[in-house]
Amino acid sequence: MAGKSGRSINNVPESPIKRTIFSWEGILVIVFILVNLFCAWFSEFYNLKNLLRQMPVYLAEVFLMLPMAYILVLGEIDISVGSIVCLSATMSCIVCNTGAPFIVVVLTALVVGTLCGAVNAFILTRFEELPPMIVTLATQIIFRGIAEIVLGSGGSISATNTDGFRMIGGKVGSVPYILFLVLILAVIFAVILGKSTFGRRVYAIGTNRLTAYYSGIHVQKIRFIIYTVMGTVSGLCALFLVSSSYGANTTTGNGFEMDAIAMAVFGGISSTGGKGNLAGGVISAFIIVCLRVGLGQRNVHAQVILLIVGLLLIGAVALPNIIGQVKRAIKK
Amino acid sequence: MKEKSVLKKITGSREALLAVILILLFAIVTVISPSFLTPKSIMDMLKNNAVTMVMSLGMLCVMLVGGIDISIMSTLALSGMAIGMLLKYNHISNTFVAFVIALAIGAACGLVVGLVISRADVPPIIATMGFMYVYRAMGYLISNGGEWASAAALGSFKDFATTKILGMSCVIWVIIICYVLFFFFMKWTRTGRKIYAVGSNANAAEVSGINVKNIKLMVYVIMGILSGLGGALQVSVYASAMPDMQQGGEMDVIAACVIGGVSMSGGRGTVLGALLGSLILATIAKALPLVGFDALWQNTIKGVLILVVVVANVVLQRVADRSALKGREM
Repeated sequence: MAGKSGRSINNVPESPIKRTIFSWEGILVIVFILVNLFCAWFSEFYNLKNLLRQMPVYLAEVFLMLPMAYILVLGEIDISVGSIVCLSATMSCIVCNTGAPFIVVVLTALVVGTLCGAVNAFILTRFEELPPMIVTLATQIIFRGIAEIVLGSGGSISATNTDGFRMIGGKVGSVPYILFLVLILAVIFAVILGKSTFGRRVYAIGTNRLTAYYSGIHVQKIRFIIYTVMGTVSGLCALFLVSSSYGANTTTGNGFEMDAIAMAVFGGISSTGGKGNLAGGVISAFIIVCLRVGLGQRNVHAQVILLIVGLLLIGAVALPNIIGQVKRAIKK
Repeated sequence: MKEKSVLKKITGSREALLAVILILLFAIVTVISPSFLTPKSIMDMLKNNAVTMVMSLGMLCVMLVGGIDISIMSTLALSGMAIGMLLKYNHISNTFVAFVIALAIGAACGLVVGLVISRADVPPIIATMGFMYVYRAMGYLISNGGEWASAAALGSFKDFATTKILGMSCVIWVIIICYVLFFFFMKWTRTGRKIYAVGSNANAAEVSGINVKNIKLMVYVIMGILSGLGGALQVSVYASAMPDMQQGGEMDVIAACVIGGVSMSGGRGTVLGALLGSLILATIAKALPLVGFDALWQNTIKGVLILVVVVANVVLQRVADRSALKGREM
């Protein structure tokens, strides 16, 4: 565990320029530029205007990446978020169809999400021995199951009163609201994770939960907060998802948890905990969003895009390890 | 040493407890709906759950070494789709050859996953998540962009599921053979015991001369082979091959193992447990409509069940720990 923090005594500081370029974030920025160049070459429709127009559909998932990064830094995982999105989207559509004012719809989505997150958090903190993977696996099935029950045999619902959703799907000039919101939230989440006491405690728990506990950190309280916030943000994601599709069905949010984890891990956030930062996660999220927009414009099938994302994900984790092994072998 | 009482043996052994639950479940369902406990209905149940049952053996091995594999249903789709397309375009027609090809594709997929996990030290959940996308997309690509291989295209291959040997479908024989093989493999072969050793304490296993990396590689290859077998079974039981088959089914396999007492952190779990776990899951899925529950409720109940089982596990463990502590006091 000791080497994980990257702060051992014999860690000789390198020149700042070299460090910036060769850090994971530096590589990601280069990849981001390359992806954009590739997309521009690949599709003649790939320009800023079209990018901004087609982005919102994919941006909703970026929300999920932010709290997911916290959970991964804790060394844990939450695979129920896709189902929370599904349930929140379903509930908000139902409330919307009763003719309630839009603020109530927004609140419904957020409250349903928060409640689902709190259920995860409650079980995980009350029975702390349980692996998060298996608990969130169960709640994943339950939350989507509840959505299936609510939706009934038809399996889908569409919002009849779309004015409110149309409003949050709006734009300032040509920049959609959601992009602003993603960036603002990203900054808030990044600052809290990187600069605040709370964030440092999250890293401490991820590096060694027991040590963190003995040094006086309220481990369970912090875990509770993070899982609950994960739920709230899933509700937010659901809201913006409905604002682009005006409806929900039993497959809404399918696989979102994987996309969120993929974005975070590709951004250099270790799934074993205690490592990584949100800057990397945000850059990698935008790499994937740009790739999807670019490839989508030439009607590349979603499956092929998933294939590329999958390879990126494996490569991002495997390559540094392999390079490290080769280096060690040479030193010997 | 005092002999343990029978009651204590039953409550102490996970498998016995599961067996009691399964029998109770059978009894309740039979009382409510007598049509449940007929040979035909049981056979149908086994046949429809063949894929989950066979693959939970592989998941048992993977979870025993402390890993997890969520790419299995993509491997299943890839291998199933491969033989589906080969049969459709008449490249092969022999059922046996189709099975061998499916197993080989599964083994290759498992080998790649295993290499990435054991040699490049990628956490299993991340690696298999990546391969879940990759194999699913490959299955889609070899299907020429979403083509199906329907019952008519499969020719004599689909007869495998309907052929009966000694009154039982071939599919059920496959399940039985797999379980018997694994029962012996895990209990009485050196390699089987090595899997347990690696799962209980990888460092101790390494020191005592077990090649931990190779064992880890091996379990993923086993998982891959069984996924390939699952692919062939899936295509033959449902008489169709499509690229999105069994999407999300990996959760059922993991759930079966967890209910069967396989620990997520490795080292704990038995073949019998996996069998009972998958049977309980299958029985519940079959029983719910008979008992009068809407099929819509199925997933929620399945999820609650998993949750109850794992939470009960923790509570029991805490009670056991506490009483063990009490025993030490004067």
